[in-house]
Amino acid sequence: MAESALHIEDLFKRYPTGVEALRGVSLEIAPGELFGLLGPNGAGKSTLIHCTTGLAQPTGGAIRILGHDAIDDYGEARQAVGLAPQEPNLDWFLTVEETLDYHAGYFGMPKRERRERTKELLETFSLTEKRDERTRTLSGGMKRRLILARAMMHRPRLLILDEPTAGVDVELRLELWHYVQRINQEGTTILLTTHYIEEAEQLCDRIAFINEGKIVGEGTSEELAARYGVASLEDAYLALVGRKELSRSHIEVSAS
Amino acid sequence: MSAAQIRFATLWRREVNRFMKIKKQTLGAPLLETFLYITVFGAALGSRIKQLHGIDYVVFVIPGLIMMAFSINAFANNSSSILQQKFQGAIQDQLSSPASPLELLLAFSLGGFMRGLMVALLTFLAASLLVDLPVDHVLVLIPSLFLVGFFFSQLGVLTGVRAEQFDDVAFVQTFVLTPLIFLGGVFYSAELLPQPFETITLFNPVYYMINLVRYGFVGYTEVSIALSLLALTAATAALFAVNLRLFSRGYRLRA
Repeated sequence: MAESALHIEDLFKRYPTGVEALRGVSLEIAPGELFGLLGPNGAGKSTLIHCTTGLAQPTGGAIRILGHDAIDDYGEARQAVGLAPQEPNLDWFLTVEETLDYHAGYFGMPKRERRERTKELLETFSLTEKRDERTRTLSGGMKRRLILARAMMHRPRLLILDEPTAGVDVELRLELWHYVQRINQEGTTILLTTHYIEEAEQLCDRIAFINEGKIVGEGTSEELAARYGVASLEDAYLALVGRKELSRSHIEVSAS
Repeated sequence: MSAAQIRFATLWRREVNRFMKIKKQTLGAPLLETFLYITVFGAALGSRIKQLHGIDYVVFVIPGLIMMAFSINAFANNSSSILQQKFQGAIQDQLSSPASPLELLLAFSLGGFMRGLMVALLTFLAASLLVDLPVDHVLVLIPSLFLVGFFFSQLGVLTGVRAEQFDDVAFVQTFVLTPLIFLGGVFYSAELLPQPFETITLFNPVYYMINLVRYGFVGYTEVSIALSLLALTAATAALFAVNLRLFSRGYRLRA
């Protein structure tokens, strides 16, 4: 049997403030899958991602990335992961080109390969003309492109996208969707968190709902809708967060 | 080069690149400051004091200024680099890479060490143009400067990791380091101080560092060289061990 791309077992995370962000999360993502993680703000999505990428330290449980333990074998585990975080975390001192080059260097990529890969991704994300600009001068959309390009630099086998289309215009959102679908078809496993239901519906093979630090539902969008006894993934989500009154069908019925 | 070597070289390159991009502030300003000290204390005050312990006053002062330049720049670089990266979130890129805690700590440390070394070397070259500066004990001078630079690099890393705002870094630099350095005998000999200030100076660790560097240059010291070197080595190793522990635990770096 093929090794899971991401195997999370009974994961707990309690912050020093006492907040329990994750309360026994278990998740299995198969290689090549495009997996969506949906949940309201504060549900634990980013904490789960931070625990997976080494930015937060789990209080309990286990994480295995393509067979490598995220704590004991962190070097191999992190080598396999690319992260595009929710908040732009670019280094103000670096240019666009340096940002990509340094990232690849942190992952041990040789100089010639770094140069070729940088050129390729600058073109893919329409950043070639901005290559010598400092990151702090970029627009929000350009920063978003750069963050995604940076996550891809070292050719990760598991790409984690934490709300990659938050605050971007329609054109860029569609561009990113096409790119995500393409690299997924090329074999990269993707874990995507998003607030856009249609994004998850359109892109993801399977989806999990997370709420109050727990996975409360998992399956295809049809399976989730059936589980909540509603017509769509959006309604299933609204049922999860206890806001059924916001359902489009409910509003249409009320209006008529 | 192996992947680990590339990784370490890149982490280190990033730190050097940061201060080289703002070299007016990180190299130019400290050089000007040291030049002003030499001018004020050497030319102005030196015309009155002439000599201390048989050494021209300006020559007596310069080793302390070189040590001061090395230490303050090593400290300032690392503390501000780490805090800035934490503030921007940019440090996440390094923290989520396969780099080990030791690789991260060494790279951050060496950034400040390099900046301190460059300012110290430039100060030495500039001073050598102005006065006849001897190097009497090179075998003491080199390890002493190395240890001083590495000690303050570690102190900068520790301060940067612990700091949550820029005020935390400024506090250590203004209210701890500057008084210790200025009262450590950069501009005078502690033996000339009245009691109890002479005895109090003996409790200042920077006093021993200045004496080590001064001995390396002009051959004059008021403390035991061997004991001072030993104590400085132990203090640097202890600080490094503390930092390595913090990096391994992810203290204020990983949530």
